[in-house]
Amino acid sequence: MTDIDFRQGPQDSYPVPGPGSSSLADILERVLDKGIVIAGDIKIDLLDIELLTIRLRLFVASVDTAKKAGIDWWETDPALSSKASRNALEDENRDLRRRLECLESGEGERTAPESLTEDSAG
Amino acid sequence: MSDLVTAAPQDTTTATYVFAVSRTVDPSVLAGLPGMEEGAPVHVLPCGRLTAVVQAVTAAHFTEEAWQARLSDPAELERCARAHHAVVSAAATCGPTVPLPLATLYRGDSRVRQAMADEADRFTSVLDRIAGHVEWGVKVYAAPAPSGPEPDVAGADTAVKGAGLAYLNRKRGLQQRRHHRHEEALRAAEAVDAELREFAAASRRLRPHGQEASGRRRVQVLNAAYLVAEGSAAELTELTGLLEARTGAEIEISGPWVPYSFVGGA
Repeated sequence: MTDIDFRQGPQDSYPVPGPGSSSLADILERVLDKGIVIAGDIKIDLLDIELLTIRLRLFVASVDTAKKAGIDWWETDPALSSKASRNALEDENRDLRRRLECLESGEGERTAPESLTEDSAG
Repeated sequence: MSDLVTAAPQDTTTATYVFAVSRTVDPSVLAGLPGMEEGAPVHVLPCGRLTAVVQAVTAAHFTEEAWQARLSDPAELERCARAHHAVVSAAATCGPTVPLPLATLYRGDSRVRQAMADEADRFTSVLDRIAGHVEWGVKVYAAPAPSGPEPDVAGADTAVKGAGLAYLNRKRGLQQRRHHRHEEALRAAEAVDAELREFAAASRRLRPHGQEASGRRRVQVLNAAYLVAEGSAAELTELTGLLEARTGAEIEISGPWVPYSFVGGA
């Protein structure tokens, strides 16, 4: 409820219960996603519309935001990220761990191949 | 007579837009609400044991193509969402109200009555379930990552082991701190959710919002809705205050809402 851009609206003049200046995102996730669904006469595929406008505009943005803030566990949420980026992170992690183990054992026993050490240092 | 069905799209054939369903709604609470388009007023449509809150709209303006265009325009999307929400909220001042999703349309009032008759049992059981309850939204935000140079957390012995190992240790330290922040944020979110679930009659997890929606430089780690008894706002505020102090996370609450998140049986 801090983003002014999403709080402007004509509803504040009505005697409605509930948040007077609700954020647009809060309202959208309720009026689009929720409510009892009954078959109407006029078929509207809101899912497509929602994917195109809402998810992209308001929600998927959280991946970049989270990364900038140093919290990248969003990447494991399949709704918010592609498999590719998650795999990339796992691969990097595994690779680093392997190289570190090689290095540490090399420091301890001085048996690690020289090429590995040089590779790691570069 | 049957010409109504096959009439050209630019004519004035109307469709009936349904906002919500209640047992009774005082028509005066709907007075002056613009609804989905200018013209016909938002009004109540008695349907047996139930009452639908409806508006006659120009059918040609509410086809699937028209919706695609309308909802791809951010300003129109916002206008429609807020207009729908305003009618739902106004109706709910008269008693338990089941919101319908945006864009529920019938070819006429008699078709609405038919649909209400077909679904009467479902509506009645949901109205009973949400009676005396309201929805509160609760969001938890993690603190942003500290900026500035990363401290050397790998230990003093790294100094003697060369640049390669120091580099790897820095990388590992970064991963560990990220992991740590992740764990803390997750713990705070789970702790808040667990306490609130105890307090609430029901709960739902919603999709976390991105920064564009949540504002400032902060990351939303929990976006949830709780169905709580009417009149328990003070208790909820006190509880979230305590949880904020205990977990160190920033907690934001919104409400009371019509129980949007608790009417879908799925």
